[in-house]
Amino acid sequence: MAVIPESVRQQLKDRFDTVLSGPVKLTLYTRPGSSRLILPAGLGCPTCEDARQMAELLRDAAPEKITLDVVDASRDAARMEIDEVTDVPTIAVASDGEIGRIRFQGLPTGTEFPALIDAVERVSRAEHGLSQESLDALAKLTEPTEVMVFATPT
Amino acid sequence: MALASPQIKAVCVEANEFTYLSNQFRVRGVPHTVINRRASFVGALPEPDFVEAVLEGAGVVTQHPHDTPAGPTTEIAAS
Repeated sequence: MAVIPESVRQQLKDRFDTVLSGPVKLTLYTRPGSSRLILPAGLGCPTCEDARQMAELLRDAAPEKITLDVVDASRDAARMEIDEVTDVPTIAVASDGEIGRIRFQGLPTGTEFPALIDAVERVSRAEHGLSQESLDALAKLTEPTEVMVFATPT
Repeated sequence: MALASPQIKAVCVEANEFTYLSNQFRVRGVPHTVINRRASFVGALPEPDFVEAVLEGAGVVTQHPHDTPAGPTTEIAAS
């Protein structure tokens, strides 16, 4: 992703202006100096730079509501462990003051981008959109549960 | 769902970018959902079935929300 067109930025800005209500904290877990070269595991990160641009795009669309925190995986291993993030790039979406439990691992392009925007909006509005039956059922969960959804851009 | 329950962590993984995870969980089609790294199902389920599959995968015994004979087919890994 080289350049994000101004029209997209404006569109997102207009949308966030009307839709967002509460603050949203984005955390980007990344590695600096990422190149597109494929390097041995643990060194390269071909999509980190694009992920950074994408996270900045979201923050810049509503800087008064969205904050962006960048965690450098190569320097802050302790933080990676505390937040239980294993791979980069990962973008976590959270309301203020919590570790993001909604995460996008890898570059959220294609169908994942609208899902990321939706996550930001839902967190901001504290709107889960689930039925009362689902809430009652989910209340039975007493242990931390990880729901991992594999998706592709198309 | 992660907004509705403080226990849930939702991770959307780009399947092509993390092939080691796709291989580990035998992802052949998307969406492919893995619960607690041991139970999985393929495809987009309606909300009640999705919730049920998550509970089942997390080891919480559930009653079927509607009387479908089979319910979602959550595959629990042997290990």
